[in-house]
Amino acid sequence: MAQPDHIVIGAGTVGVSLAYGLQKRGQSVCVVDGGASDFRAARANFGLVWVQGKGGNLPAYARWTAESAALWPRFRDALEQCSGIGLDYQKPGGLVFSLSEQALIDRRAVLEEIGGGALPEGVEMLDRDALQARLPDAPLGPEVAGASYGASDGHVNPLKLLAALQQGFLELGGEILWDWPVQTLRTTDDGYELTGPDGETLRAPNVIVAAGLATPGIVAPLGVDLPLRPQRGQLLVTERMAPMLPMPCSGLRQTADGTVMIGTTHEDVGLDTGTTQASGTMVAERALRILPALSGARIVRQWSGLRVLSPDGGPLYTQPEAYPGLWTVSCHSGVTLAAIHAERLAEQILAGALTGDTRHFSKDRFHVPTLA
Amino acid sequence: MIFDTAIIGAGPAGMQAACDLRARELSVIVLDEQPAPGGQIWRGVERNCQPGSELAQRLGAEYRQGAGVARSFRACGADYRPLSRVWQIEETGPDATEQCWQVFVIREGQAEVVEARRVLLAIGAQERPVPFPGWTHPGVMTVGAAQIMLKSGGLLPEGPVWICGAGPLPLLYAHQLRKLGGQIAGFLDTAPRDTVRRGLPHLSGALRDWKSLAKGLAWQAGLRAAGLRRETGVRQLRAEGKDRLERIRWETPEGEKTAPAGVLLIHEGLVPSVHPTLSLQCEHTWSDAQQSLRPVLDAWGETTRRGLFVAGDAAGIDGARAALAKGTLAAVGIARSLDVLSEAKAKQARAAGDRALSKARATRPLLDTLYPAPEGKISDDVIVCRCEELTAGQIRAAAGRGSADPNRVKSETRAGMGPCQGRQCGYTVARLIAEAHDMPRAEVGFHNIRPPLKPVSVGELASLGKAKA
Repeated sequence: MAQPDHIVIGAGTVGVSLAYGLQKRGQSVCVVDGGASDFRAARANFGLVWVQGKGGNLPAYARWTAESAALWPRFRDALEQCSGIGLDYQKPGGLVFSLSEQALIDRRAVLEEIGGGALPEGVEMLDRDALQARLPDAPLGPEVAGASYGASDGHVNPLKLLAALQQGFLELGGEILWDWPVQTLRTTDDGYELTGPDGETLRAPNVIVAAGLATPGIVAPLGVDLPLRPQRGQLLVTERMAPMLPMPCSGLRQTADGTVMIGTTHEDVGLDTGTTQASGTMVAERALRILPALSGARIVRQWSGLRVLSPDGGPLYTQPEAYPGLWTVSCHSGVTLAAIHAERLAEQILAGALTGDTRHFSKDRFHVPTLA
Repeated sequence: MIFDTAIIGAGPAGMQAACDLRARELSVIVLDEQPAPGGQIWRGVERNCQPGSELAQRLGAEYRQGAGVARSFRACGADYRPLSRVWQIEETGPDATEQCWQVFVIREGQAEVVEARRVLLAIGAQERPVPFPGWTHPGVMTVGAAQIMLKSGGLLPEGPVWICGAGPLPLLYAHQLRKLGGQIAGFLDTAPRDTVRRGLPHLSGALRDWKSLAKGLAWQAGLRAAGLRRETGVRQLRAEGKDRLERIRWETPEGEKTAPAGVLLIHEGLVPSVHPTLSLQCEHTWSDAQQSLRPVLDAWGETTRRGLFVAGDAAGIDGARAALAKGTLAAVGIARSLDVLSEAKAKQARAAGDRALSKARATRPLLDTLYPAPEGKISDDVIVCRCEELTAGQIRAAAGRGSADPNRVKSETRAGMGPCQGRQCGYTVARLIAEAHDMPRAEVGFHNIRPPLKPVSVGELASLGKAKA
């Protein structure tokens, strides 16, 4: 194999979005994927392309997210055409329910703060009656006081997205080495060298580490310290049901197949991808407070995934000063940001530097001098 | 209360273990899905074995033996909960002072939690799913399901009835059906024609249990004497028809044949029920002889998770008599682990159990060789995953596109994500992955199994929160 321009470590949604974007821009890219026991957030995703409420503590993240959501329809069209795989993407707007009048007031306050004193563009508050009117086939539980609605929100089948990105990337001439967990990463005279299983090596002038929770461990030997932590989310999915939810909601969405996904927990349990009855019960109870009609729905599966979180929840894009051409890219919202990763971020990586909003996503924002 | 042991399954292994644990004065709860004890092999045994029952006579002595075990079980003092579906099993957190398991159960629409120091999975086996063209047609079912209908109410299949497959069960069923006056149009034997020659090396070992061998030979002789049509070396079976089964087609070395059919009964052996142990991430090992996974167990029947035991066919397919021995051995292991049995006494008890088990297993290597799992190529148009209606061609394409990881193939195709959790397609998908990557089946593994192990509704799951609050 000729030496590629870029090696991307990680064939998950984040890694392959970048690989697809770079390959589309005429680069030659090789993606290496890990072993079967890796954590693989991309396979556990809820499938929201979500804007409302994000970036309260990081305005650049709010803008970056909104831009990605705006890019999504075109990104979808190109990817579906290239891969031949439908994504089940829709952008009907999205809802966040409030289970009391006070919660509804609090929700408005949070959104107004993000919008700088007013509700952000495309966001509106719905009282119970207005909400019920938008969900005619889903009788609301008695506690539901209303919801916030974001016109930019949408959803997608995250597994189809992943398959389409991989397929699309291959169609464009890219290469994926499966079951090639990286053992070491070191610098060479003109770039980087990776060692894989059985001592095989790969070289390239540019390397992008997009290996989710494994990313810090890959770059740590180079002295690069990344503040990432896992956070577990558990989800349920029901059998197929008649259409009842015309739009995705936080913690509740009906897929194109008719199944209803119910989520999700936020648990700090380290690298444990197990499921617990207690969490299943908790998310089931909340779902029934919103939609009592779900009571008889049969649960087909409960699973969990590990979010890849930075301290402020925003993306972490870093090109360490001492290592030109070496990038780390991690984020919690790989589905929402897939479009912008394949476009703007790929462009910036090609240009060799972060510009505009993405400058705020470097790890340097977390640099706190150690107190003596 | 916290039970000493929760046993899941009231078949031979579960009933025997319950009796033995109760004899050591341990508290036992037995959770079983059926309305009465017996498991699959002894389904309906109490009802069918009432005095003067014609059905019990026809079903044979091995079936009638279950009545005695069920009687002892009823009298043993275990808390027996029929009609109970276990949907999840969890070990309590590390902060608990003593190890404890929580077993989540649905019973008559109510969710509840059963707590126990030890758990014994005596959940038996399922028939190996064998996809072939037309296997989803109404009129096609498994021999095991037909036999359950026989035991549940003496129901006989109607229309031209064909039996296709290999193994002791189709022979036994054909024998039982004939005794009950049922008609069989023909028996299609899928075992390779050289199977007897291949079995020869195992014959001397099997002779230790010559009674079972003689029984099997007698079934065959009886069917021959009755003039039953029998085809050997059968391959490429197809079930055809418009809305339901109308005819079958098959090949033998002599050529293609066809026949009208109303019912087609299939059986290609049993595989252990491993979903609970897979979901609990116990270690498993691949059996080449039985072409299936089984949990790794120590000499006491304990899995790689402390406090979790497996007995009966769920630990490997060995039949009912072996299941009784395995139930006894697991009870010894559990009593030992709860410190109510000294190491010396436990070893003594184990030696006796091991001898019984070894004898009950004597014919197994021969049977495994005589009736190997089918290996023929599955054609691309055959449905493999019934839940998501995926064909072998679709799975093959996905398998070849990337790594040989069953979870990757599951996430790309949805095979294994449906309500059956891959009980129907899991082995076939793994076989197609092994084929696509030209690797041994043992190395492919199985996709992750997630709760619920059995159907549970959103309302039932939520109701557990209210019960606790």
